Amino acid sequence: MRPDEILVVALGMTVNIAVLMIVALGLSVIFGMMRVINLAHGELIMLGAYTVLTVTRATGSIWLGMAAAPVAVALVGVAVERLIIRFLYGRILDTMLATWGLSLVLVQGVTILFGPATQGLATPLGNFSVGAYSASWYGFFLIVMAALLLAVTYLVFKRTRYGLEARAATQLPEMAAALGVDAARSHMITFAFGAALAGTAGALIAPVTGVVPTIGLAFIARAFMTVIVGGPAVLLGTTAAAALLGIFENLVSYLATPFLGQGALLAVAILILRVLPSGLSGGRQRGV
Amino acid sequence: MSSPAAVGPRAWPLVLFAALGLLPVWFGEFQTVQINLWLISGLLALSLDLVWGFAGIFSFGQAAFFGLAGYVYGASSINLIGLTHETVTAILAGVIVAGAAAASLGYFMFYGGVGSVYVAVITLAVTLILLTFMGSTAGTQYAVGKALLGGYNGMTNIPSLTVGTPWGPEIALSITQTYLAVVIVAALVYLGVVLLLRRPFGRIITAIRENELRTELLGYDTRAYKLTVFALGGAIAGLAGTFYAAWGNFINPAVFSLQQSAVIVIWVLVGGRGTLLGPFLGAALVQYLSGVLGAISAGEPWEVLGNTFTPPVWMATFFQAPLAVGLLLIIIVLLFPSGLIPALAFRLRRRPSASEDRESTEGVLQAGAGLPATPEAGSEVVVETQEVVKAFGGLRAVNRVSLSLTAGELRCLIGPNGAGKSTFFNLLCGRYSPTAGRIYYRGDEITSLLPHQRARRGISIKLQIPSIYDHFTVQENLWLAAYARERDPTATERRVAEVLEEIGLPRRAFVAAGQLSHGEKQWLEIGMVVAMRPTMILLDEPTAGMTRDEVEATVALVRRLGSQATVVVVEHDMSFVRALNARVTVFHQGRIFAEGSVEELRHNEAVMDIYLGRHQLSSPLKA
Repeated sequence: MRPDEILVVALGMTVNIAVLMIVALGLSVIFGMMRVINLAHGELIMLGAYTVLTVTRATGSIWLGMAAAPVAVALVGVAVERLIIRFLYGRILDTMLATWGLSLVLVQGVTILFGPATQGLATPLGNFSVGAYSASWYGFFLIVMAALLLAVTYLVFKRTRYGLEARAATQLPEMAAALGVDAARSHMITFAFGAALAGTAGALIAPVTGVVPTIGLAFIARAFMTVIVGGPAVLLGTTAAAALLGIFENLVSYLATPFLGQGALLAVAILILRVLPSGLSGGRQRGV
Repeated sequence: MSSPAAVGPRAWPLVLFAALGLLPVWFGEFQTVQINLWLISGLLALSLDLVWGFAGIFSFGQAAFFGLAGYVYGASSINLIGLTHETVTAILAGVIVAGAAAASLGYFMFYGGVGSVYVAVITLAVTLILLTFMGSTAGTQYAVGKALLGGYNGMTNIPSLTVGTPWGPEIALSITQTYLAVVIVAALVYLGVVLLLRRPFGRIITAIRENELRTELLGYDTRAYKLTVFALGGAIAGLAGTFYAAWGNFINPAVFSLQQSAVIVIWVLVGGRGTLLGPFLGAALVQYLSGVLGAISAGEPWEVLGNTFTPPVWMATFFQAPLAVGLLLIIIVLLFPSGLIPALAFRLRRRPSASEDRESTEGVLQAGAGLPATPEAGSEVVVETQEVVKAFGGLRAVNRVSLSLTAGELRCLIGPNGAGKSTFFNLLCGRYSPTAGRIYYRGDEITSLLPHQRARRGISIKLQIPSIYDHFTVQENLWLAAYARERDPTATERRVAEVLEEIGLPRRAFVAAGQLSHGEKQWLEIGMVVAMRPTMILLDEPTAGMTRDEVEATVALVRRLGSQATVVVVEHDMSFVRALNARVTVFHQGRIFAEGSVEELRHNEAVMDIYLGRHQLSSPLKA
């Protein structure tokens, strides 16, 4: 293999891992902090992508669309939490079923509004050349964004009053309540925050994949595997699992076929869980 | 709630299946094809109900096993029918592959000790990955012999159900014959599941659903039971999948879609989980309704991951109206979490009058006759720990404890909160494995044995917080404990009657355990421990929450137990410890601090210090 080829392949893998992190982060925050498995996560991603599409078409600026996506999807998150999730706290399976129903409704609703076809968005930032190959600056942008989102999540939970309350409510709900933490409010904000992360994810991947009602499907299985393999510590677990699973999937996909890459991801995930049933960060406390 | 006794010996479901078989007499072929699909769906729903409704394992994977078997049926029948002139082999192949897939997935999940929520997510992820996996098989290089996998367009020209012999005729079944075959197989599967659930196996899997920890501590290998149910569920889903592929002569990756998985859950939720006919009713009702709804939007092209796909009309009815399905799911979960048909049926049925036997049980406990006192108090060492350590992060909850107990000994463990007593118990019964050190039981090392293996060897524990089956009756609770030991229905019944006398609850035998008073729950759990005929009994705070009279009765009970087995009691109530008049071991900060009779310890200044907290109070001043 020539050095430029190695460089391009390595860059491509890093981008894929960054995407996996971006896509899994919101899911991981909501599961880690609230014990809610949000099966509509893929559809929140999808809503983020459609927000970008709509805003870009209306204003001509994709960056404006990317800024609007987290806000719009966070609002949807608040509505979902108030209308459905809050009645189901502590009933993990029921939350899964209800959010699953929600995901079907959202896919179908968006299909009715926007049609089933894939709609393209021009990838911004252009390309640069690596030897005989070319790579896109947008890939770099995705890597930077993955790091930035991790940092923002860390700061929100470690440096804000809300973050402190949310972590307290996660670890000792009764004690937090006794100390005056409004758990209902804290849950609502956490869900909205997770939804905003999903919206951002959708906005970021939209120019790469195109926008389609079933966009969530392509990522959701991998996002779930990442969260499970990651384990209870949200940031550490998600990062480690995304890196590990991403490397395996991409290597196998590159060396064999994407078909086998999917299989490798599944096999590695199941093997890890056989050895470490509570995930890579299993020894650590639940929380950020 | 739905204990296995609820699956009564009723004949009417079979009459119903017989009636189903007669339907083609009235309906035309088109309706027969429809009803056949409902029945196949009912089988699929039954598989989820068995796994989820009875064993409490929530699986999103039934669609995966269904689809997998469908593909296996397709591939084997396309390749083999020219040779064997039948497709029964292909059905068997599908069922076996689906069952084996479920078994291997189950092995990783259950033997890995993955939590129940993770089981749901893993099965979901597996299903979704199969969707992408099978979806990426477009092209002629992806073929099994003559059968093209076909990517998102799926596998086509799958033979219908066909019977014949390699040398004889090849008879493809007609629509009515296919339908009858499915009715008969569905009835047999239904009957098989009913019979299985009426066996002890059924009671044990529902016990796992209700309280897995207790079931494990009774000596049942819960992993093996869950694996068995899961594999069986996978095989039944697979059977439905082979019928489905034969029914439509077609299968595509849409069977692995989220929507397909959602629909199965809805069938079960509508029909009521934990009822065996419910899945069939739910599947039929939902599909009938969605057929009505679906007529509106049938035939509209849809897209999966960039591939446009136009469903034939019959498919549009099977995977219909996601909007309606999604809304229905949300509404059912929010309003009727125990199922739609059961909720409606409950409205119609009168509640049984709550003539609950609330008779006083005071003094009843004394009635218990002593059981044959077996072990002679002797010098045989029953259990011995050598320098066991249990660390949680930096905290050594149990720190190099060496303790040995002889046959027939009654021993009390005392110590302040956080001294490591309960952790030590958990090390003995196998819930925790020690960080370092060894544990011997009657000469054999048991350090790495699992709780159920230790329970089978005769170590039995009553946990600090009563761990019983709240929804089962007192009698059923004891039955599970006794059966774990006896493994014989007659002996079990006899043992249950004895223990009911022993713990003084014969008049409460048919009351749900959750309705017992706190003290009675404690006795019931002690009774379950006794029913296992253990050689070593661990009682963690047996008198917590008891009245003075109840405590006295418990003293008598524990002393009787002491005549039959080695008994270790963790207790805070010093008057109880004194009344037991046993040797006392004092734990402090994870170590054995002192040992002796109650009288000796009362005169031990150091023990009084730690117990009254003088030690902690004064040490900062001394330092």
